[in-house]
Amino acid sequence: MSNIIEIKNLRKIYEDGVEVVALDGMDLIIEEGEFLAIVGPSGSGKSTLLNMIGLLDTPTSGEIWLKEKNITKIDPKERARLRNRELGFVFQYHHLLPEFSAVENVMMPLLIAGVDKKEARERSITFLEEMGLGDRLGNRPTQLSGGQNQRVAVARALANHPSIVIGDELTGNLDSKSSDMVYDLLRELNREMNQTFILVTHDMKMAEKTDRILRLVDGRIVCEMLREGDGFVTRDLCELEEDHT
Amino acid sequence: MFEWTVANRHILGNPRMVLFTVLSVALAVAVIMVLMGLTEGYRENLISNTVENSPHLIVDPKEDEDYITLYRTLSKIILDHPEVEAVSPRLIGKVAAKYKDNVEGVNFVGAYPHQEDKLLKVQEDMIWGDYYDLRFKMHSAVVGTDLAEDLELKRGDDFRLIRQNRSVRVTAAGFIETGTGLDQTLVYLPLETAQDLLGEGDVVSEVGVRLTDIYAAPVIADDLNIETRYKAQSWQEQSRDILEQLDTQQVYSYLFYLLIFIISGFGIANTMIMIITRRTKEIGILMAMGATRGSIMKIFILESVILGPPSALLGGALACVAARVIGTIEVPSEVYIATHMTVALDLETFAYVTLFALLVNLAAGIYPAYKASNLDPVEAIASE
Ligand SMILES: Nc1ncnc2c1ncn2[C@@H]1O[C@H](COP(=O)(O)OP(=O)(O)O)[C@@H](O)[C@H]1O
Ligand SMILES: [Mg+2]
Repeated sequence: MSNIIEIKNLRKIYEDGVEVVALDGMDLIIEEGEFLAIVGPSGSGKSTLLNMIGLLDTPTSGEIWLKEKNITKIDPKERARLRNRELGFVFQYHHLLPEFSAVENVMMPLLIAGVDKKEARERSITFLEEMGLGDRLGNRPTQLSGGQNQRVAVARALANHPSIVIGDELTGNLDSKSSDMVYDLLRELNREMNQTFILVTHDMKMAEKTDRILRLVDGRIVCEMLREGDGFVTRDLCELEEDHT
Repeated sequence: MFEWTVANRHILGNPRMVLFTVLSVALAVAVIMVLMGLTEGYRENLISNTVENSPHLIVDPKEDEDYITLYRTLSKIILDHPEVEAVSPRLIGKVAAKYKDNVEGVNFVGAYPHQEDKLLKVQEDMIWGDYYDLRFKMHSAVVGTDLAEDLELKRGDDFRLIRQNRSVRVTAAGFIETGTGLDQTLVYLPLETAQDLLGEGDVVSEVGVRLTDIYAAPVIADDLNIETRYKAQSWQEQSRDILEQLDTQQVYSYLFYLLIFIISGFGIANTMIMIITRRTKEIGILMAMGATRGSIMKIFILESVILGPPSALLGGALACVAARVIGTIEVPSEVYIATHMTVALDLETFAYVTLFALLVNLAAGIYPAYKASNLDPVEAIASE
């Protein structure tokens, strides 16, 4: 398996009157097809890390490599292109476009990529049907439940067949039944399509459905756990407890 | 083009905001078109008034002379020109009219009715009486309606025209209504009666000329000025001052129109900024999905520009309605040169105003769109 992401000595410092070190010299390698969870207390730098990987933000220093290409300092057009083709985002709140129906929301990344409208619609319908939303295609976000909207958001993140799917607390706003459903869905997609999933969560029950768990504290990885059968083994010395945020 | 789709959907999703933006530009368009139309209508009225109510060409006495004595010969010379339709020697001047205790200032025109009627179609404007009666009734007059009203003069009443120590008694043999300010001062007299009043003998003060082609007037005036020593003046030259004044005014008007557009432009920009503030999060999401800054900019400029054509159309429609309404209102002749104001709307004006409205929409959209495209995606997504 090849490395899809390599992070080298990544630092992010916010200068906002006081200096906040959000990421403190992080090294991380993520392999293609991984299903990875990032956990940690609030303010530990999880979102910051995801935004770096997602090319929404730039580091203060250090490097990010995507598919063996240094993407730390690329021009805005190329960043936008990579966000469109290689990355799929799911946020805590679905962040669907309110004026667009479910299928139109899923079509959007495809239209941005320049896919023809008819084809985009067909592909989007297929995705939504897989998500169990085949009978909700024309509904606007206000006409769908939180769980349904989040599934639309997942479909949208997947629409362009990105190599990496990023979720920041993507089930944080859902009841446990809905979040189970979304996780199981992602898990299945990960197995079928070999897409890489990086999911931030503060819910250990969810994290334990992944293959690898990273625990962040104060902008550093303090603990790494790997799946072995039904359980996890720790690589380094660390304690895992549920974070209350 | 997904930018178009998004822009369209945003517009349709905000009917109230759109309505107000469209209305603001439409009103600007309508106001400007009506104002331009009024100026143009005034110009047209002025020209047609000049051409209908005064001679196309006036031949004045020689330099250093007050009157024309050889007016019969002069008339023949003028009539030799093929474009000349009619000539009428006229004696004009100012006198006072007195009826009972009422006194009013009067501009009299002494002329031969059959010639003057060919010159200015006097008979058409008569509301009572016959202008041609003045041929046989030496001491009779045709009086402007408003003047008659001011004097409280009734049909057939006798009144006096007084000039210094001379005066003549005339009978109101007809009333005339031209629909212009003339109605307040005009009195038509037989030429001989006017000559009596003046006491300068068998003279006229000018010879009026009617042409088959009003735009030939300057050329014929030039010809006459070469042929004779009398001074011929075309109607264009006579109203040159006022036409030039209209042109000068027009320049100020354009500045005023520009100001109206700038104000409505600020209105649009304000609306666009509001829209963008409300959609900050969405903009962040679009960026996360891979929309470039250029695309974001395009979306919001499109949103602003899309509103241009409907605004212009609505504005044009409003202007047409306003023109209709204004056209039905009767205005006093002191205020305007005709009984009804004319709003002259033409497609060319509409095209220019529309083009300008589009430019205003475009200009108003640029800054907000630029702000939108420069949002930080992380902050935008996190915004509430
Ligand atoms: N835009 C910002 N400006 C200043 N400080 C920030 C900004 N974003 C995040 N931080 C700080 O960086 C740290 C890491 O934040 P974040 O990555 O959001 O943590 P998490 O997602 O793990 O809760 C926190 O201390 C937070 O206050
Ligand atoms: Mg966070």
